[in-house]
Amino acid sequence: MDRRLFLQLAAAPVLLGAEETPSYKIVSHYQPAAGTHAPGPYRGQVARVQSETVIDTASKRVDQASVDRMLSAGMTTLTGQRSEKDAWASFFNAGDLVGIKVNCSGAPDMCATPEVVGGIVRNLMAVGVKATNIYIYERFLDQLNSVHYERHVPQGVNVFAVETPRGSLLNYDPKTYVEVSFFGEDDTRSCLARLVTERFTKIINVPNAKEHQAAGVTGCLKNLAYGDFSNVARSHMREKTNTLSFIGTLASVEPLRSKCVLNIMDGIRAIWHGGPIPETRDYDFYPKTMLFGTDPVAIDRLLLDMIEEKRKAEGAPSLFDRSVDLIDRSRGAHKNSHRNTFIREPGHIEYAAKHFGLGEYDRSKIKVATVEA
Amino acid sequence: MLAALLLPSLLAGGAEPPADAVSLTEPKVLYRPNEASATRAPWIQANGWRLLRSPDRTFVYRAKGDAAALSTAEAFTYGAKALISADPPGEEAFGRMLGFLKTLPEVDLSPVADFGVIDDRTDVSGELLNLLTRSNLLFRLEKAPDPAFAINVRVGSKDYPLEEARNPSVLAHRIRAQIGDDNRSLRVYGSETVVARLLASGNQARVLLLNYSSRPVMGLRVRVKGSYGKGELRVFGLESAQLTDWTADGPATEFTIPEFRTFAVIDLPRN
Repeated sequence: MDRRLFLQLAAAPVLLGAEETPSYKIVSHYQPAAGTHAPGPYRGQVARVQSETVIDTASKRVDQASVDRMLSAGMTTLTGQRSEKDAWASFFNAGDLVGIKVNCSGAPDMCATPEVVGGIVRNLMAVGVKATNIYIYERFLDQLNSVHYERHVPQGVNVFAVETPRGSLLNYDPKTYVEVSFFGEDDTRSCLARLVTERFTKIINVPNAKEHQAAGVTGCLKNLAYGDFSNVARSHMREKTNTLSFIGTLASVEPLRSKCVLNIMDGIRAIWHGGPIPETRDYDFYPKTMLFGTDPVAIDRLLLDMIEEKRKAEGAPSLFDRSVDLIDRSRGAHKNSHRNTFIREPGHIEYAAKHFGLGEYDRSKIKVATVEA
Repeated sequence: MLAALLLPSLLAGGAEPPADAVSLTEPKVLYRPNEASATRAPWIQANGWRLLRSPDRTFVYRAKGDAAALSTAEAFTYGAKALISADPPGEEAFGRMLGFLKTLPEVDLSPVADFGVIDDRTDVSGELLNLLTRSNLLFRLEKAPDPAFAINVRVGSKDYPLEEARNPSVLAHRIRAQIGDDNRSLRVYGSETVVARLLASGNQARVLLLNYSSRPVMGLRVRVKGSYGKGELRVFGLESAQLTDWTADGPATEFTIPEFRTFAVIDLPRN
């Protein structure tokens, strides 16, 4: 798209997406839960665990023992509990039905690492959660199946795709939704997954560390929001997207907000450009880190720094650069780190903090406890 | 009132339709992945607006295979006099749809509309009617503005200038905004390929749903303005079907159709 055409479209909000914040209507009869309502008990606190041995970057092989040490260190550091079991037991008990919200949009190369998910499952079972009461879930079956989580977890653990087949609303709750019109689309509702409203007692959110062409980064907030609701791609159909306000709005909806009690950011691998579904491996990097917290905003704030720092080191434009000259809608253009399909909206994280109180965005107020495992 | 159960007929054995019959395109979805699109919405090739525009004419569909079933359902939905010319698989599909239509209870209902359109019979107005129909914006064609409607659209008027109507999508969006989604008599959620029609009387309503895609629609949500008791769902091709996730606690009634491939009919008793 040339600059003149872009500016013409930018002047036509009906066609391009409104400049003003859209009018959202949240429909939910669920109430916030005391104690777990995000940002939960550890507002502004993040446990960051590093491990040099967690992945062999040549073979891409992940070391399970290192992953297990990272999970143990992360949970004990976050909670202050002496034992790993006590740390997990401070969140989960035998009566829980737990959803593990993985991210498989870049699978199989970029996804919630199976060894991490397997480790989480074993820790849940160690505190009494039955295998059959654990759901590893994602929206789309083809993405989920490409990972083969079932090979990394005990028999009985459920691996479930919400939207099967694609476009089906059967596994979404038609009574819990966000209604908004971005550009005059026919279907203005995004409904929350039934598993979240009707089945799970708790959720563990396991996003990846990824740049996102529309949202800036895709971390805790976006994995929850766009991974649990239907009909969300409509927010980024055009250069100017509605991801700024939509992500936080969705993540704030009950019971999702209260049931997501723990976020574990899988930053063993990461991508610094071309996300969320990378078409090249040129932008992979390996932070070899995991971030633990109950505050999704605080973790995403650190993710912003991580991706921004890497882009700076690689000489790529800032995530916050809104220059029209960066926009290129031609096929494959986003493979160039100096081009992008959308105007990124990394401000969605601050927006979620400011408008919904979903966590702490101010970097000076975020306490990061860094440990080696 | 619509004539109750006006059923299409088969144009058998290569017979020619009446000379004045209006030929229609085969109803279907055209997927154009390589074409630029503002919404990525599929292009629906539907005839509803033509059927509404010429209620006294006879129409002829030339359809193959399952498209003959959809053609039959489309003509029925709009109460049109229609002939179906089909290949052998299409004749079989026509027969199945005709059998289904004959199971529907006879009703005497009128089409529900949220606004009026004064049709000047131009191509510009025609394309607007097409988009309004496909967008499930319920209109009634009028010869003059109807004071019963807050909105009466006449292309070329001061309120709806011809220049604006040359981009019918923008005009359709504006009309929709003028009505307000909450005030619409009928809405569907969960598919871009379903066209709906609503008929009603003082004591009941009927929703007719046409799916122009070859893929089934799973979990279509329907909102009908007004208060209705639990309705009966009939789905072409399914022995039995039930509405789910019923809600009727506000100014509208909502329910879900678990699955349908081509045509579904919901009869609702008014509370």
